[in-house]
Amino acid sequence: MPREAEISLNEREFIKQALQEQIRLDNRAFDAFRKLELTFGEEYGVADVQLGKTRVIARISIDVTTPLPERKFDGVFQIFTEFSPMASPAFEVGRPTDAEVILSRILEKAIRRSNALDTESLCIIAGLKCFALRADVHIIDHDGGLIDASCIAVMAALQHFRRPDVLVEGERATILSVREREPIPLSILHQPLCVTFSYFAEGEIFLVDANLAEEQVRNAEVIVTMNRHGEVCQIAKYGGVTVNPLAMLQCTNVALQKVKEMSKFIQQKLDEDAKRRDAGGLMAELSAENAR
Amino acid sequence: MPLDTSTYSLALLRLDGRRWNELRRIHAQISTQAAADGSSYLEMGNTKILVSVTGPAEGRQSGQRGGSGGQAKVEVEINFAGFSGMERRRRGGGDKRSKEMEHCVKSAFEGVLLLHLFPHSTITLNIHIISQDGSLLAACINASTLALIDAGIPMTDYLVACTAASSASSTAADNASADDPLLDLNTLEEQELPFLTVGTLGDSDQVAVCVMETRVRMERLEGMLAVGIEGCKRMRGILDGVVKGYGKRFG
Amino acid sequence: MAVPEVTLTHLNRADGSATYTHNGYSIIGAVNGPIEVSRRDEMPEEATLEVNVRPAVGVGSPKERHLESLLHNTLRSIILTRMMPRTLVQITLQVRSLPEEDEATGVNSTLTILPHLLHTSLLALLSASIPLLTTLTSLLIAVPTSSAPIISPTSTELLRAGPLQAVHVFAFAGDRRLLLNESDGAFSYDEWEEACEMAEEVCCSGGEGGVKLEGEGMDVDAQDGNLEEWLRGVVRRKVDWEQRWKKGT
Repeated sequence: MPREAEISLNEREFIKQALQEQIRLDNRAFDAFRKLELTFGEEYGVADVQLGKTRVIARISIDVTTPLPERKFDGVFQIFTEFSPMASPAFEVGRPTDAEVILSRILEKAIRRSNALDTESLCIIAGLKCFALRADVHIIDHDGGLIDASCIAVMAALQHFRRPDVLVEGERATILSVREREPIPLSILHQPLCVTFSYFAEGEIFLVDANLAEEQVRNAEVIVTMNRHGEVCQIAKYGGVTVNPLAMLQCTNVALQKVKEMSKFIQQKLDEDAKRRDAGGLMAELSAENAR
Repeated sequence: MPLDTSTYSLALLRLDGRRWNELRRIHAQISTQAAADGSSYLEMGNTKILVSVTGPAEGRQSGQRGGSGGQAKVEVEINFAGFSGMERRRRGGGDKRSKEMEHCVKSAFEGVLLLHLFPHSTITLNIHIISQDGSLLAACINASTLALIDAGIPMTDYLVACTAASSASSTAADNASADDPLLDLNTLEEQELPFLTVGTLGDSDQVAVCVMETRVRMERLEGMLAVGIEGCKRMRGILDGVVKGYGKRFG
Repeated sequence: MAVPEVTLTHLNRADGSATYTHNGYSIIGAVNGPIEVSRRDEMPEEATLEVNVRPAVGVGSPKERHLESLLHNTLRSIILTRMMPRTLVQITLQVRSLPEEDEATGVNSTLTILPHLLHTSLLALLSASIPLLTTLTSLLIAVPTSSAPIISPTSTELLRAGPLQAVHVFAFAGDRRLLLNESDGAFSYDEWEEACEMAEEVCCSGGEGGVKLEGEGMDVDAQDGNLEEWLRGVVRRKVDWEQRWKKGT
């Protein structure tokens, strides 16, 4: 396994000095995200997020299993993140790096533990059958901001996903295929999104959405997960240089504003996609009538 | 419902009889194991932790001796004793939660230790959790600080951590000003309330570590953080007393 | 036969990359190389090749490992590994989507995806400018019990074709030599040879007097559907794009 190429001292100094002069290398404002793009696949529940040069694909799939004995009324929801050498040759399959563990823990805390998805709605027959939902996160291109991008991808994919309807008669449950019954969206309680703040110059300067070079130079990071209702779902600052607590509280205000913008963006893309699909649906209906 | 919030709002006493801003009983020792370069034993209420430090020494793998960039590398290993929790279940080492804690302790101390004094060497922290009853991460950080001081590894100041929660009075859940912060939680309180672990550097207000895993209104964050930082200051005083008390024995 | 759609060199981080979409299969391929190799895998006189196949859903299973070993062996014979000793060429293939009916066809899903993986990896290698001995083209042929063989069938075609007698995957090098063959089912040698010739006709160009394909279950224009022609087209466009600075004047 080759090592991750380290950023050279000259580049390091250049980035630091530029930041002291209030300039980022890509000429963004300190609190600006890179250009965010979101596309949905042909199938339900596939979201392709591009955040600058970072690209993440999240894919939701569903299966039926037996619920856990201690959680009879809940469905199963799991998020899988595995880095592949596609994003960076330093990622080795089957040997998770610290970054990978942190990514999966943050997503777990941000989305699963904050109850973004109502797992009770995935239950079919209590104690016997439930839906098992899984989200696979594929990192396609890595230029920093993986946590933010992955969180957007998973949340967008969850909102885009439609699960098959199910018919319960006593102890018998029938899963109705897409052709029989229009599939139904998941019940999502709130939409957590992550914003990563990177601290430079011993905690004096903070940036939103650092790219890979800035990530390698930074002194500390704070990952804040919020929803647009102003609830903080998760905060993680694992060491690094110390920051002023008031600056951290200010981060949550910035994060709230960013999260609101991103939620709006995701909703807009979802609406566009729904419109596109609906047009097709209408056309299909018309053609079916003509055939009859 | 483990924490009966109704009685709390009446008597303002917690389940274990503490007031909102009281720490649990803290008992700490250093130099507990002669074989290690530095070691400590810390009890915060019923959370009991044993830490041993090895190093600065040559790294285990011959290929990559110590850290890169002219400074020492910090390695952290956390072991959960099989009998430490409520369930008698052995936890595998590759658990993501303990990996996360290891990463947190590692990067927290990387910012505090003067690593550039020991290029090409490794400092290994072995943390054994003997009994867990809340504030686990905070206890790990405090115990590690003591062990590193015992090992004589230079650091800028004590890294101390503490947990703080916010218990919304059930009557005024949406009134941000009416929430009561709590300090130093045990397991039952952790399960019930939104809480955060905050670690500060010495007497300053500067936050080195801040981990929160539960959903909470952003307005309540400020109170929790303030109480947590206050708790850290008291914690520093206690740890300082332990270290100085140990030093007197040589005096 | 629809010609695959390809986007080359669209990833920023990898040295070479390709997205390939054909018959509902969509695969992203990335190549890093030649790069530093770990001491354990280092070979003194040739490059080490590492292939990772990652499924759309879930983590790798024995099926992916099997595909990886097939790809590894095939690609090793066309990459000029001896030109880059003591290095690593890392190929990652991420399956993005499969056709909806893929599971329902009952055909061994290793075989249906294999040609697509081969094409993706070749394109990614081309994009990364890894020295190659030759190119390759690959094809799936399904032989139903009752009707004529179907070349490069879609999942719906497989479903409609009814019971299948055999399924073959062929891969040919640029000089018309057979690189890889994986077959499943019962067939005689003559039947295999017939299938092989049909595949060769579609995979390789430039042969005169080949069997003119009559379309049952497909409407193939021999010129449009030829895989080598398609591959040449892709490479021509790539070179045109790279040389555009020359033409700009």
